[in-house]
Amino acid sequence: MVELNQLMSLLRQRRRQLHQRDRQIQDHGKPPPYGSTYSGVKRKCSPCQNDDNSLDGQTNGYSGPDLPEDIWCHIHSLMPMRDAAQTACVSRAFLGFWRCRPNLVFSEETLGLTENACIYDKSSRDFASTVCHILKNHSGVGVKTFKLEVTSVYNRQEICLVDLKNWLQIVIKPGIQELDLSLTRRIAMFNFPCSLLSDTIGDSLRHLHLASCNFHPTVSLGCLRSLTRLELCAVCIDGDELECLLSGSFALERLELKLCTGIICLKIPCLQQLSHLEVLTCTGLHAVESKAPNLSSFRFAGDLIVQLSLLGTSRIKKYERFCSGTVLYARTEVPSNMPNLETLTIFSEAETVNTPMVPSKFLHLKFLTIVLGGQTYDIFSLVSFLCASPSLETFILNVRPGRMERISLLEDPSNLRKMSEHSHNKLKRVQMINFSHVKTLVELTCHILDSTTSLECLTLDVTHGAPRCSVNKCGKCLPMRREALVEAHRALLAIQTYINPKVPSTVEFNVLEPCSRCHTVGI
Amino acid sequence: MASAGSGDEKAAAAAMITLISSDNEKFEVTEATATLSQTIRHMIEDGCTDGGVPLPNVTSKILARVIEYCKKHATAAAGEEGSSSSFSDAAFLEVDRAFLEELEEFDDAFLEVDRATLFDLILAANYLDIKGLLNLTCQKVADSVKGKTPEQIREMYNIVNDLTPEEEAEIRRETQWAFE
Repeated sequence: MVELNQLMSLLRQRRRQLHQRDRQIQDHGKPPPYGSTYSGVKRKCSPCQNDDNSLDGQTNGYSGPDLPEDIWCHIHSLMPMRDAAQTACVSRAFLGFWRCRPNLVFSEETLGLTENACIYDKSSRDFASTVCHILKNHSGVGVKTFKLEVTSVYNRQEICLVDLKNWLQIVIKPGIQELDLSLTRRIAMFNFPCSLLSDTIGDSLRHLHLASCNFHPTVSLGCLRSLTRLELCAVCIDGDELECLLSGSFALERLELKLCTGIICLKIPCLQQLSHLEVLTCTGLHAVESKAPNLSSFRFAGDLIVQLSLLGTSRIKKYERFCSGTVLYARTEVPSNMPNLETLTIFSEAETVNTPMVPSKFLHLKFLTIVLGGQTYDIFSLVSFLCASPSLETFILNVRPGRMERISLLEDPSNLRKMSEHSHNKLKRVQMINFSHVKTLVELTCHILDSTTSLECLTLDVTHGAPRCSVNKCGKCLPMRREALVEAHRALLAIQTYINPKVPSTVEFNVLEPCSRCHTVGI
Repeated sequence: MASAGSGDEKAAAAAMITLISSDNEKFEVTEATATLSQTIRHMIEDGCTDGGVPLPNVTSKILARVIEYCKKHATAAAGEEGSSSSFSDAAFLEVDRAFLEELEEFDDAFLEVDRATLFDLILAANYLDIKGLLNLTCQKVADSVKGKTPEQIREMYNIVNDLTPEEEAEIRRETQWAFE
């Protein structure tokens, strides 16, 4: 589940980048991005030097075409912070590139401080003094991107709030496009200086991301008319203040709020461009009122009692909901609310009521993901979703292993339920994570195999589904408890006995066992 | 240059544009391919592409490579449009993933050129205003300085050090953090 989600978000990001790239291209005016006449990067006179076939590891000079200074400036801006700083002493021109660098990204990683992180106080001081130092020498002109990420839990010494304000004063000037301030909760709550977001910033600022600070915009704040993306995480702001900010953000396309507990009623004005709304764990929330007519994607983690009144829900194609009991809600209320839904993802930690067979349908639903827990819940009742979704192509189910024992098929193999009157003829891909020998789960799987004529691929993962050692960064699988390994082994037994004989030869059948390299179990 | 999709009626019917390199070689490309270049896009919009588009700053050798890039990425752009509207995430997952991987492989292979060619490609991408190609090629140069001393970088790219030793020492102190 996690793996797939990560992959998908990665791919989506790539897709966005491609889109963005296209858009940037379209945005471009007539003259080429970089003038091609003047070259201020002086070259050595070296008429007969060898051409390198590789750019790396060769220092024997080069003769060939030269690049104009502004292209070198662009190349310099593509280097990571440390490389860019290191090259500042290459020549006067390079020093100039560094002093005018348009993208300033400060984090322990970009400043190369991660190795020092264990030297508690020094690390924090180094971080703050390095940022101070760089900004002091920066021209302060032409900064387009400013990112400051203070995340280390080792930062005992607080970054001085006055410093922080000074830094923002240096970089927030007309022309700034992206501002990302991610502070840690260990720092006393920083009051974001709203006065810096004046009307002149409004023409350029496209992306604003704030984490762990106070943010109290008022009507005197300029119109952020170019803002397309607003992300607030653990930010102290109330509903009126946010509404005030939103009312001038006509270009907003994405609004993401997380852990902003001060918002009681989220009011979103009629923002024509707003297509994605994300509200996660804003625990003070009682109501969401959106007048944005073109919302197509909605992600919400919050209680079922939160009043949702969204204009134009028929345009919503993608809905993600995180809340216990949300499976029942999704089946009974969502089909009529969001009739054009194509992608539905629901996370329910504790589902208590079995999903009923009701007549309403998800006519356009193609992609369904359900993650659920709950001891008494009858997993077989999820058939209701399959029957209600005639266009469904992909179904992913992750049943969280519970503490209490459910009825195991291995212990009670009698009377497997069947619903042969329903058939699914669009369903192509089914994936089950945390697959086990729980009887109701095997029943559901057998039902899918019996009644799906279109099935192309069935994947049963008897592990937690986290990225495996072959693909993740650390090169090790996420550990599994001994009991989980024993359970996985029993799940494999159930697959062998009850699932295997039912899988048609035309279906690609994958069983993902615990990795033998990382997990050994002596049974 | 052979045109993109053989037997593809749509492609055949699409408007063709003739690009003329500095050494007078002619290249026939589809409008979709050509308009990855903003410079050419504007010329098409202004209706001044009849009789071919002369590109006096680009040699046939480089133009052939540029067109190769544009063809590949124009297909990508078309695929994007198709998939963004109606395909579900699942379809995207299957189709686009393979496609994006292929595109990345193409880009990597495309960058396997000597330095003179790379610089020529940068200049052509800049002149033709092809943002994707410009960033791709510039990134290659940006990546090449990793782990190099300033002197090595000067050598690599024939850059004159016009700083006095005192100035250089001063900058070095200023950016000391980056060397630690």
